[in-house]
Amino acid sequence: MALKAGKKILIDFEGAISYATMERLLNKLRASSDFQDMGKPARKRLYGTVVESIDNIFKYGVGIRGKELANKRAPILNVSKTKGRFIVTAGNMVRNEDIEDLKFKLDRVNQLDDEALKSLYEDIINKESTDEDRGAGLGLITMAMRSEEEIGYSFTEVDNHHSYFKMQIIING
Amino acid sequence: MEKLIIEATMNSPRVELDHEKKLFEFSGESRPENVRNFYLPVLDWLEEFSAEVSKSKSNTPLVFNFNFEYFNSTSAKYILDIFKSLYGIHENGTEVLIRWHYEEDDEDMYEVGMEMSRMSRLPFEYVKVEV
Repeated sequence: MALKAGKKILIDFEGAISYATMERLLNKLRASSDFQDMGKPARKRLYGTVVESIDNIFKYGVGIRGKELANKRAPILNVSKTKGRFIVTAGNMVRNEDIEDLKFKLDRVNQLDDEALKSLYEDIINKESTDEDRGAGLGLITMAMRSEEEIGYSFTEVDNHHSYFKMQIIING
Repeated sequence: MEKLIIEATMNSPRVELDHEKKLFEFSGESRPENVRNFYLPVLDWLEEFSAEVSKSKSNTPLVFNFNFEYFNSTSAKYILDIFKSLYGIHENGTEVLIRWHYEEDDEDMYEVGMEMSRMSRLPFEYVKVEV
């Protein structure tokens, strides 16, 4: 991968993500000097964003081992630093039928200001069942609250049933 | 009833719920692999404790210490459930005081505490931890 001037890569991972992989990636993040040099509040925001991004892959990601997927693409997790800003990019295959739901949740948090995000957070944390379901987007709301900018996202169709979903969150260092 | 002690791991907090010593504390990081499996025993314990407390009303407030370094959004739901359960005890006449610890520069953790307090209607005392 070509390095742009001033861009530093903290994590550049592509492959299946299990819970153990998540631990390894978080260890790698903690060990990086760019992470350690951050102020504590920003560091926690970045750490939380990486955790929630991976949780989101667990919730929506389609297993890539399935033989039925001809054009399968592995999940990615990338953390880089440019001009004092940290960029977290997460990508994974999703089912096309889940796109609408994800888009709705992403557009919703992107349109809300801090106060409105707080009240949405309250609605959802109180309403959401404590069953281990996909969640009503509490992770996305938390990420939106911690980021100064909109959550960027894209869906690229892979086949009739699957698309590759990419999400980008920016944390000020 | 038995006390409940769970030791911390890299991704789950230390839990100490000791009704005999009146020590109640959560500390560390919370993003266990299965959040539900982790918190259900805690919520069950609190339910049993709540029944116990209602039998023997005491004038001394019960102090619960929360000293989280980090918790993910899935844990947040269960942590709110803990507060809702404690509110039940509080409402039944045994005062419950939450001590919410946050590192001095961790505004996010402080704010989450305020939200949790408002949502659960429990009084929180904020303890700034110097780093």
